[in-house]
Amino acid sequence: MSLWRQLTHGLRNLTHRSARDRDVTDEVEQYFAEAEAELRSRGLSAREARRAARLEEGNVTVAKERVSGYGWENAARSLLGDLRYAGRQLRKHPVFTLTATLTLALGIGANATIFSLIDQALVQALPVRDPGRLVVLSFAGAGPGHTSSEGGSTEGHRHEFSYPMYHDLRDRNTVLDGLIAESPLTLGVTWNNHAESVKGEMVSGNYFQTLGVRPAAGRLFVAGDETAPGANPVAVLSFDYWKTHLAGAPVVGKTLLVDGLPFTITGVAAPGFHSMVWGHTPDVFVPLSMEQVLTPEWQFLNDHRSYWIDVAGRLKPNVTREQAEASLNTLFLALRASEFTQLRDQSAKARQEFITNAHLNVEAGANGFSPLRGDLKMPLTIMMGMVLLVIGMVVVNVASLLLVRAAGRMREFSVRYALGATGRQVVQQLLAEGMLLGLLGAALGLAITPGALRLLIHWTSAGSGSGIPFRATLDWRVLGFTLGVTLLASLLFSLAPALQFRNPRLAEAMQQRTGTSNGGSLSFRRTCVVLQIGLSLLLIVAAGLFVRTIDNLRHVQTGFVTDNLLAFDLNPSLAGYPATGIVPVEQRVLDAVGALPGVRSAGATNDADLASADITGDIVPAGYTPKPDEDFDVELPWVSNSYLQTLGVPLVAGRYFNAGDTATSERVAIINQSFAKHYFGSAEEALGHHVSRPNKANTDATIVGVVRDVKHASVREPAVATCYTLFAQATRQTGLTFYVRTSQEPGAMTASIHAAVAGIDTKLIVGDLRTMAVEIDGTLVAERAIAMLAAAFGLLAMLLAGIGLYGILAYSTAQRTHEIGIRMALGAQRGTVVGLILREVLLLAGGAILATIPLAMLATRAVRSQLYGVSVADPVVYGAGILSICVVAALAGFIPARRAATIDPARALRTE
Amino acid sequence: MTDLNTDVIQGTLDLLILKTLSLGPLHGFGIARRVEQVSAGVFKVNPGSLLTALQRLERAGWLDAEWKQTENSRRAKFYSLTRTGKKQLEAETADWTRRASAIARLLEAEG
Repeated sequence: MSLWRQLTHGLRNLTHRSARDRDVTDEVEQYFAEAEAELRSRGLSAREARRAARLEEGNVTVAKERVSGYGWENAARSLLGDLRYAGRQLRKHPVFTLTATLTLALGIGANATIFSLIDQALVQALPVRDPGRLVVLSFAGAGPGHTSSEGGSTEGHRHEFSYPMYHDLRDRNTVLDGLIAESPLTLGVTWNNHAESVKGEMVSGNYFQTLGVRPAAGRLFVAGDETAPGANPVAVLSFDYWKTHLAGAPVVGKTLLVDGLPFTITGVAAPGFHSMVWGHTPDVFVPLSMEQVLTPEWQFLNDHRSYWIDVAGRLKPNVTREQAEASLNTLFLALRASEFTQLRDQSAKARQEFITNAHLNVEAGANGFSPLRGDLKMPLTIMMGMVLLVIGMVVVNVASLLLVRAAGRMREFSVRYALGATGRQVVQQLLAEGMLLGLLGAALGLAITPGALRLLIHWTSAGSGSGIPFRATLDWRVLGFTLGVTLLASLLFSLAPALQFRNPRLAEAMQQRTGTSNGGSLSFRRTCVVLQIGLSLLLIVAAGLFVRTIDNLRHVQTGFVTDNLLAFDLNPSLAGYPATGIVPVEQRVLDAVGALPGVRSAGATNDADLASADITGDIVPAGYTPKPDEDFDVELPWVSNSYLQTLGVPLVAGRYFNAGDTATSERVAIINQSFAKHYFGSAEEALGHHVSRPNKANTDATIVGVVRDVKHASVREPAVATCYTLFAQATRQTGLTFYVRTSQEPGAMTASIHAAVAGIDTKLIVGDLRTMAVEIDGTLVAERAIAMLAAAFGLLAMLLAGIGLYGILAYSTAQRTHEIGIRMALGAQRGTVVGLILREVLLLAGGAILATIPLAMLATRAVRSQLYGVSVADPVVYGAGILSICVVAALAGFIPARRAATIDPARALRTE
Repeated sequence: MTDLNTDVIQGTLDLLILKTLSLGPLHGFGIARRVEQVSAGVFKVNPGSLLTALQRLERAGWLDAEWKQTENSRRAKFYSLTRTGKKQLEAETADWTRRASAIARLLEAEG
């Protein structure tokens, strides 16, 4: 009520100012008239009554002013007045206004862009019902058996559960309103006779209900859809996939071929929803119970020892996370104890690791589990740090521009003081100008932010489809943060010069000549110069280090030739091939592609190179007893007999695989040097030995060759011990990554490769045909993004430093025109004068650089984990950074110095 | 003229206005005169403070204001107590009584 009155009365007074003034005047005058009337009724004359009333009640005008001065609207009106005046000032100086606004827009836009990414990756909740009640489950404890991980797990926080464990936790807990699970996989989908590979997610039946996701069409899964293994071929489409790939056609009840099997589409999920896992953007959802038919080689559903699904839950109302964790742990440990009885190793140590050390973590999960988040944190933090440095530069820059301008307005302020303005009013006026500039900059900055976001997303998702689902939209958190930053920045850059003009000694200021300047502003200008040089040096050093890092990574010696090398994925089971048909068709594809004109050779592996993929396990020489606690994990790719030659991995001893090695011939293996060294001491020693996987039948193979070590998972990681065997002799049949060595520009080969595969079977899907260079870039997304941003910010810093330094130096040199005139009249040469000014600038720059270097080394130590092949104290980076900042400073000082030195001494002397 | 302090005790102007208006609507001068008369000249309010306070109380929702003719046919702004104003008066009266009696007790104890 009263707040409402405050608002309406205030607004009425603001908009009807004259009516309000009249009201106050009438009321006050009526008051005095009554007082006079009363005095006259006591017998005073009209004149005496008037005098007496004034004496008793005070001055009419003072009373009026006091009354009409009440209310918030007066403050608002004076602020509006200040802003209007500020607007006029800014319009009058378009060059200054444009420079300052653009500078601010760049800083604020960069800030909003990076903050938006951080917000999306680390803060934003999943777009589901009441995300605050979601929890993410993980566990500590041993998990002997098979783990199929997509990353994101850390020590004590394993995010992969077995299906039976999930099942029991879901059905026997008393604290959750639903426990859901998912596992990602690639699916081969045929719609309208067009086959393609898509991102799929196997989900629990209660998945959509528990998350509170509504259908955009048809119905989504219910608990009953998770049936007996393989019994319910149904699918739900994501909204985006439905719109972009199926053209939003009516699909409910229609049949979709998934891995060659008919699935009935039950519905389409609501727009905006992707997955319970942040970072997943599945196109097609199928029930978890269909795992049996979609990955027949695995058969995970009834296996306690296969860890493969991510699990999340929704807390019941009135149950806290701590209560849920305690209750679920009791259940979890009981289930583990019963699982343990089924394990082969019943030793006390195994029991300790499996039961005693086990713990179920129930963690807040409003933003969902994400395998990406851990990898994104550091790069995003670095980017935010750089952006804050840029904002710091912008603040100093605009502050110095404002100062220079304010100094030119000395007379204006003097006149205002003379007319009775208080120091507070002048500061308020300067603040209003600063705020207006800040808001202009913020508006422009926010206008460019979505574009900048789109550009950044495009950069980072270029290459193989490692698309991080960032969106180029701004939410209220980004807007709030940007507003906060803007206000703080505006306050800083307008306050510094404003304080210089608070209450100057009036008489002195009135007599102020341009030839003199007060000490306070001199030291402030020096601070500005030092800060600008320091901040930009920091940014340039960061840019140098990151650019060198990405350069080093791009030119890392992988051990094989990456030029003219194409890769594509092909999985016959996505086209509905049964297990027995997979190896023959893969061999046919190899032969067909290898015979294409322009192709030198073709090879294949199930463990793609430089694509952040790993297939590891233990393999030991026959008869070798592992030492206790010996844990020697080895990379175990299954390859074609042409693979090593196609990649060009050099042979060290023995022979390559060849056409004589077939599915039915003797089982053979080729190992790399690291492997040979660990078990046999040398390459030659290894030849002829047998290796096999412990506890796995039909894995014994003879070592026939030893090859040089090559980089595998990524160019960053050192080579690991590797044992290559033939996919034709493998225990399972899987999809492969094919490598094609071309004798010409690889990009020109894509059409003929597609045609060759289609010539074998049109249902076969050639997935993600890319060059090796693109593949490598795909694993360096974060490094590339940081390097590009750092380079952009480094250049921006140089530009800002140039503008800012020029502004200050031009002003302070102009201040010294008189002095320079005297020097020249006394016989100083132009060169001497220029040298005089330059020396001062470079001395300041030198001081700034000396102060910044230790800071830079400290700051870059924090990002050492993101650097590659370059020291945090790299002399080239620092040298180039220092040199370039000195050049900028010298240039910014030279131009005004030369101008000062070329004017006629007689004229210089006459300048006031 | 005496040198006795006629200033309103700090913080009590609102209470005096509300109490005065509880007897019926009045214009600014009327309120001032009533306060002076009832307090037998102990308190005297000046128009600047009084009219500003009236605006404040009106904004707070405790008073309503209306332009009307006075007895001697001048246009004047009459203030009257709203329902929330009455409640506020009760609350402030109770508060004042509590404090005043506490001060009285303290002064007596000292004597």
